[in-house]
Amino acid sequence: MADEGANPAGTATEQRDPENAASADEQPGTAIERAEAAPPARAEPQLPMLPGEVRPHPTPQRYVMIAAILVVATAAEVGLYYLEGDVPDGLIIAFLLMFAVIKFVLVASWYMHLRTDKPIFRRFFVLGVVAAISLYLIVLTMLHVFSG
Amino acid sequence: MDQVAVPPAHDVVEAGHETPATGMGVSNTKLAMWLFLSSDCLFFGAFISAYLFYSGRSQPGPHPLDVYNIPFTSVTSFILLMSSLTMVLALAAIMRGDYRRLRVWLLATALFGATFIGGQVFEFTEFYRQGLSLDKNLFGSTFFVLTGLHGAHVTAGIIWLVSLWGLAVQGRLTSRDSERVEIAGLYWHFVDVVWIVIFTVVYLIPK
Repeated sequence: MADEGANPAGTATEQRDPENAASADEQPGTAIERAEAAPPARAEPQLPMLPGEVRPHPTPQRYVMIAAILVVATAAEVGLYYLEGDVPDGLIIAFLLMFAVIKFVLVASWYMHLRTDKPIFRRFFVLGVVAAISLYLIVLTMLHVFSG
Repeated sequence: MDQVAVPPAHDVVEAGHETPATGMGVSNTKLAMWLFLSSDCLFFGAFISAYLFYSGRSQPGPHPLDVYNIPFTSVTSFILLMSSLTMVLALAAIMRGDYRRLRVWLLATALFGATFIGGQVFEFTEFYRQGLSLDKNLFGSTFFVLTGLHGAHVTAGIIWLVSLWGLAVQGRLTSRDSERVEIAGLYWHFVDVVWIVIFTVVYLIPK
């Protein structure tokens, strides 16, 4: 999973420009000094970009890391469910909603690439989510769902 | 020695795209999918609200605590979460031109989705055996309609994924078609985030 195969497109971007290579040789200091002064090599090769994106997608390793966080959050949610009776219901509900929001945001921003896409997509989606939450919260409040 | 000019990575992918761009510089299909998902939030919101409105108002049982099997539903939720991971790995694979992994991850995503649906069918069957049906009480009506609609969305996603997998097997899904996989992925991740909400609101929040 970590080595998702070679990235021919990605390596293409890493081709050394002969002009830059020549100028690098002319820089002062030994090769070791120049290597130490140079910025660290990128450990994670970047994926190519699709139209409408402003940044490259995360790497597969990052996706796996997000999945691990999602699993931990789900496990915490299920654990909270079994605390019912020992902990005030209000506290459990607050934590459950918090974990749900964290999971929702992680999937939407990393897996659905709202972090790397043009903001127009994020605005449309946030508009729908906020409209739905606002509309139904108002309706349910008017129907006294939360008061009883 | 003469070096062959290699285009930057993003150009390699973009060059094959024939999706017409909107005036905003984004593809029509992707924008349409986001608009659909945005409207689907309101659609699912209506059914979640109906469930919350009628929650606790069912006079005859069974009630949620009588039928829910939280460990089982937690496992199926975990499987659906993992399908989002495999979906995004499928997209990464096609963008890299790694078609073998594309086929593997697409098939894995469809299988995870099918496992989730299998779990839902098993759950519905168990609930029915315990006396809960669509017309038994308000809980049954709102629960089956909400989770059934979500299941229908997942089923549509599975059909979409299997068709993409079929194209990939035939070699008709290449890096030029990355956006097709991305749009299918957007839909798939959306049914995942909807389930995140349903699992919390319907199953876990104290009744």
